[in-house]
Amino acid sequence: MTDQKIKSALESLLFVWGEPLEAKAAAELFDITPAEMLRIMRELKAEYDERGGGIRIAEADKAFRLCTDPENDDYITRFVTPVREKRLSQAALEVLAVIAYKQPVTKSEIDQIRGIRSDRVLEGLMRRGLVEERGRSAAIGRPILYGTTRQFLELFGFESLDGLPEIEDAEILAGDGQLTMPAGAEQLELGSGTEV
Amino acid sequence: MSYIVRLDVFEGPFDLLVYLIEHARMSVYDIRISEITAQYLEYVSDMKNARFELAQEFMVLAAELIDIKSRMLIPSETIDPETGEPEDPRKALVQRILEYKRFKEAASMLQEREELMQHVRFKPQEDLSAWTGEEDELLKSSTEQFVAAFEAFLLRRRRLDEMRRTYERARRDRQSIEERSVQIRTMLRGRKSMMFSEMIESDPSVYGRVITFMSLLELLSEGRIDAEQRERYSDIRVIPKNIPAEDEI
Repeated sequence: MTDQKIKSALESLLFVWGEPLEAKAAAELFDITPAEMLRIMRELKAEYDERGGGIRIAEADKAFRLCTDPENDDYITRFVTPVREKRLSQAALEVLAVIAYKQPVTKSEIDQIRGIRSDRVLEGLMRRGLVEERGRSAAIGRPILYGTTRQFLELFGFESLDGLPEIEDAEILAGDGQLTMPAGAEQLELGSGTEV
Repeated sequence: MSYIVRLDVFEGPFDLLVYLIEHARMSVYDIRISEITAQYLEYVSDMKNARFELAQEFMVLAAELIDIKSRMLIPSETIDPETGEPEDPRKALVQRILEYKRFKEAASMLQEREELMQHVRFKPQEDLSAWTGEEDELLKSSTEQFVAAFEAFLLRRRRLDEMRRTYERARRDRQSIEERSVQIRTMLRGRKSMMFSEMIESDPSVYGRVITFMSLLELLSEGRIDAEQRERYSDIRVIPKNIPAEDEI
């Protein structure tokens, strides 16, 4: 089967399936390796981007699904009123940030960084499927470890955890006495590899 | 100095502390502990007066600040291994503030991403149950879906009833073997014999031919007629038998 043929079939699959289509699952269909499938899927995604059409392909954790080009959202919202999902609270974003960058991480580590207990917030994030348990730490009391899910990547439009922008150096720049705003604003602009 | 800030907007003691430091335009690396501690305590007591239920963590940091403040007054006895100078009592606090700020920035980065992603639309998976053929589909349905399914069921019932009525009418329109037998006997009355082809002249349709043939078989079994056929597939000659009079209606 040629790449072209597989891409064509993939497009149809993405259209029907709607949910994220894992490269691994798709590879089985065509009897090729997951790595090969991943390469073809990314090629197809790049072709969509190159064409610059209104339908794009979003990748999250080696799974792919169709999405709209955000540029067109004005017209979409003029035509229909999509249900606005409830946005995450400041506390939820903080906890999520700690987990995203430090995973796998225990609750007490999160609490320590934030200086306040995060139990409730953590529960809420688990319910929303953004955070999941990742086994237990070897530390005393064998506390539960937490990590982020594919849904987390999808919600924030990251292709993988490697796509998380660096936050390490933001503060060092701010150490010169001008401490009005976090210096990260520009630095945290979305990476070049992301489409959204 | 007083600020109109509400404690409940702060996500925790560090959030408050970072706000105060930034607001006073201090460097995190050179916090004027005495000033910040005073401000911090002022907030905490304001909130207590406003009967805010204060998370105990706010008090923990207050105690830490006071501790650092007092240690600032006396010369440090421990030597910082990195600098070789007396250790700055603020060092640990600075480290924690820096770490907290990193994640606070990461949180605001996530918030921006979340906002951007609001403009990317995904299509929810459509109902694929027709392909997967899950039997317990109805059990998983919402009330709305259930009502819709029930209405569809009622509609199907109505259509079926309608179809059945039509079907019954059609059957009524068609002749039964009994009716055809009576007709055949009437046709035969007063004749010595009659050919099958003649009988179906009035209704040569498949149904007409079949019902006539079936009626002949019925009449044969009842012994009311005789039938003969010269060779296979040739016309059938039907000969009425003498029938007792009371049987004739």
